[in-house]
Amino acid sequence: MSGVQVGNMAKNNNASKYLPLTESTYYILLALIEPLHGYAVMQKVEEISEQTVTVGPGTLYGAFSTLEKEGLIVKVEDDGRRKSYSLTAKGLDVLFQQIDRLDIMARSGRKAIDEFRELNSNKKR
Amino acid sequence: MEKQTITRYKWFWAWQDHKEEEWLQSMSLQGWHLVTMSIGFYKFEKGEPANYVYRLDFNTNSSKNLIEYVGLFQDAGWEYLGRLSSWQYFRKLAAPGEEPEIFTDNESKIAKYQRIITFLVILSPVYFVIFFPHMADRVPLPFAIVVGAFYFTLMVIYSVAIVSLARRINQLKRL
Repeated sequence: MSGVQVGNMAKNNNASKYLPLTESTYYILLALIEPLHGYAVMQKVEEISEQTVTVGPGTLYGAFSTLEKEGLIVKVEDDGRRKSYSLTAKGLDVLFQQIDRLDIMARSGRKAIDEFRELNSNKKR
Repeated sequence: MEKQTITRYKWFWAWQDHKEEEWLQSMSLQGWHLVTMSIGFYKFEKGEPANYVYRLDFNTNSSKNLIEYVGLFQDAGWEYLGRLSSWQYFRKLAAPGEEPEIFTDNESKIAKYQRIITFLVILSPVYFVIFFPHMADRVPLPFAIVVGAFYFTLMVIYSVAIVSLARRINQLKRL
């Protein structure tokens, strides 16, 4: 294996300890691709998840604390009361790896549904 | 005209916080709204019956982070009623049947109970188990028995608390 390949493997393992993300954490990271403050994150998560996920203030505060401690997000703006956060490079890496995982999950699920439907329609003939 | 107030004496253990929330809500439905709380008693003032949903968080926040913390809740429409030790009290007006939540996934609900356990473990009088044998030699026996019984009781209470909190966490864990 080349040095670059080994290096990439190490990088992947760093992010993989955070995977899989919970739904709330995933959407929070997704929302923070553009820097936002707390309440705006709550609204954006509800919007981009098509109302399937809501994030309450207790959950969000805990997520911000943990994600900041783990170096996945940083504070960018601070007008005292409203603190804005943004993804770090590490956060972006974790997010993209999670999206790849979700891709595989969705693909395998759709394939299974198609096969199941085909199986059942064959039975009817 | 000053508002009518009443005081109620009630005790809730840390793992019964949802019972405390339900009780405060039932009081608001009868027109009694929480004003202040202290250990073992609550003060209410009379108002119109309203469906206030009460939610408690356990957060050992420094006052530095408190502004950001409370601000997040207020932005989401929650009213901050103050704190009792590390317990933070919030309420929100809800439509009948509506249940607004401050924790929207089980992971963060579990994290709250884990914070309480951590707090108890740090505060645990384990150090008395270390120091007590030394002390027992130097004090009169009746005193040693009383202090020993007191700390034994405290240890039992702490053990019950940690086990009950762990059970609450297990109720919340799922697939």
